[in-house]
Amino acid sequence: MKDLYEDTFQSVEEIQQKFEDHSYICNTQIATCAYIAYNLQKPVMVEGPAGVGKTELAKTTAEILGVPLVRLQCYEGLDESKALYEWKYGKQLLYTQLLKDKLSDVIGDAVGLRQSMTKLQGHEDLFFSEGFLEPRPLYRALQEEHGCVLLIDEIDKSDHEFEAFLLEILSEFQVSIPELGTLGAKIKPLVFLTSNNTREMSDALKRRCLHLHIDFPDEKLERRILNTRVPELSENLRKEVVSFVQQVRELDIKKVPSISETIDWAKTLLLLHTEHLESDIVRETLNVILKFEEDIEAVNEQVTSFIKKAKPNTE
Amino acid sequence: MQQTLEDFFKVVRSAGIDVSVADSIETSKTVELVGYSSKDTLKNALLLSLAKTVDEKEALNECFEQFFSFDAFQENNGVAGKEAGDGENDELSDEQQPASDPKDPEYTGDLELAKMLLDKDKAALAQSMKKAARESGMTDIWFFTQKGIYTQKIMDKMGARELNKEIAAFGKGDCPTEKALAGKLRGAQKYLFEEVRNFVEQQLSMFGKTASQTIHEEFLKNTRLSNIEKRDFETMNKIVRQMAKRLSSLHSKKRKRKNRGQLDFRKTLRNNVAYDGIMFNIFWKMKVVDKPRILALCDVSGSVSSYSRFLLLFLYSLSDVLDRIDTCVFTNTLIEVNDIFDELPVQQAVEKIVYEIGMGGSDYGNTLLDLKDDYMDKIDNKTTVIILGDARNNKLDPQTEVMQLLYQRAKRVIWLNPETKSFWGIGDSEMLRYKPYCNMVKECNTINHLEVMVDTILKISAQAA
Repeated sequence: MKDLYEDTFQSVEEIQQKFEDHSYICNTQIATCAYIAYNLQKPVMVEGPAGVGKTELAKTTAEILGVPLVRLQCYEGLDESKALYEWKYGKQLLYTQLLKDKLSDVIGDAVGLRQSMTKLQGHEDLFFSEGFLEPRPLYRALQEEHGCVLLIDEIDKSDHEFEAFLLEILSEFQVSIPELGTLGAKIKPLVFLTSNNTREMSDALKRRCLHLHIDFPDEKLERRILNTRVPELSENLRKEVVSFVQQVRELDIKKVPSISETIDWAKTLLLLHTEHLESDIVRETLNVILKFEEDIEAVNEQVTSFIKKAKPNTE
Repeated sequence: MQQTLEDFFKVVRSAGIDVSVADSIETSKTVELVGYSSKDTLKNALLLSLAKTVDEKEALNECFEQFFSFDAFQENNGVAGKEAGDGENDELSDEQQPASDPKDPEYTGDLELAKMLLDKDKAALAQSMKKAARESGMTDIWFFTQKGIYTQKIMDKMGARELNKEIAAFGKGDCPTEKALAGKLRGAQKYLFEEVRNFVEQQLSMFGKTASQTIHEEFLKNTRLSNIEKRDFETMNKIVRQMAKRLSSLHSKKRKRKNRGQLDFRKTLRNNVAYDGIMFNIFWKMKVVDKPRILALCDVSGSVSSYSRFLLLFLYSLSDVLDRIDTCVFTNTLIEVNDIFDELPVQQAVEKIVYEIGMGGSDYGNTLLDLKDDYMDKIDNKTTVIILGDARNNKLDPQTEVMQLLYQRAKRVIWLNPETKSFWGIGDSEMLRYKPYCNMVKECNTINHLEVMVDTILKISAQAA
């Protein structure tokens, strides 16, 4: 990876700038992380609450490097055959049926069971060759000619067995397929693992990765993010929206609004031609940023005071 | 530089973050890549490769600030090193200048230390001190009582003894310049001593921080819970959380067990329809291991309330590996406290319960009757009942037949008694009469006992399934 894109990631500042060009505003820690991961070819474990841009980080990195993004969504029960490879049983069966007639040609004039067997064995591996292999995300990531960014999403949802299986791939970038032998990566992919921390990952996995924790951004950063994502929004409204959301995050509610929800809300307000936050319109659109009835009720009580704080300049 | 990093790892380890050898190699590589030129980048890089959780990141951040901000001799000799050399400072000259002497006496000896002190070469002094510290094994410091010896060791390594002799030699003669020089050196020596001592203190706060903590924690683990003082509750809570975390990671992996040998025929057939009914994918029957369901009955009367506090704390920290916990507390009647636990964080809930309900003498008989009336239908063969109490019934009717009923219904009945075994059955203790109706009766009065007990419950429930 590093050799191929030699001059892509030269310094931390440069990365930060490049991310920004691709509308991903990040702090220096994220940029440093990308820099180290790229140069040392280490996987990155990204943790943080939902909606802070964990997946987006991988996507943007792939965009910058100009390589495909291979994504593996984890879930309970995910196993090798879904993640790595599978034999195309159907095709194998179909071919055996079709080629039944050719069997006599292959065996030919062989006499007796032993001779026929010996002849057949010469062709044995035909059915377990790459033609019958159904590649899954991990296999594809290793086979990618020009390297790729591999995103293993929500690793915390997978089983312990799968986590253990990942270890070989993450440290050696190779997998063993019994019928074909050990398969190394053509170009080592850049790996991102994301986790919502629903369960603790094993130490072995953590040890192999850089650990990046992305939290909600501070007010200034969030304003910049909003600026790049929804540039049509007026300066004033942007300030108010961000300040309001930041205040909501301080509350003790079930699900705090994430950045993506802030962006959605800003878009909503834009659509409704809002100039300034007013308590009516806020109340009507609260469901964009809050996803629980109790949360909406809790915030509803404080809407007026939040708006007041959000725009200290007016009046 | 490598040495500095290794020292830093030591500090990090003493702050309670595990740094394995592999970790330290990887981190060294990382640091090599990012270099020492920017403090922020260095910090970020260390945070990324050393810390594995958010808590660890915070601790590491603190360590970093402490470790790399050290400046002895008012000189920046942090790793960045960019400000080295601009440390002209008046303090030093004020302190060591004997007021009576206007002109600078020339020092002609060949003692390095004396030269450095007189030249006010702070960078060299700091360097020499660091070297001396390394040679005397500074990073192994554990206790505050070792401060003196380490200060002495470092001073000696730097050549303080020779300096002393030199001063004595100068002081003997009559030559006024020599006398002035001796005075000046004496001042410098004092200054040196203070700097070294400061340095040692600062090192102690980094390297020895957890050593004494560890010893204190070990002590707490084996102290009777009723003897633990209020100021140690915070530490105890931490210990309990750590133990609970260990237990839950130990037991959380056994949720499903493959029952190899029994074919799940339905599932296999359905999945292999596509292959003409030929069984390519075979599915075995799985057994789901039930998480233990717990009903905790805690005596909160004066004598045992402190034990109940920690049992509850423990149980609720284990919510990952337990299916559900019902908690009732009692002194003479049974009170359900689930709602308090739903409302408040565990710690506060426990406090509230102990203070609000924990009054009066205990009456086990009446409590058991309450249990029979209100809770028997909630107890089934999946419930583990834990009773914590000293079974001192104040000479009232023990109602052992309810215990018998409980024993028949529940999966397991465990009685934890804070009293030592030899006191059971003596005086108004009914322990021996309840004992036949329990699957397990344990003496339980330290946090270590609690851990062993909870571990046993989890183990048994995994095996039984």
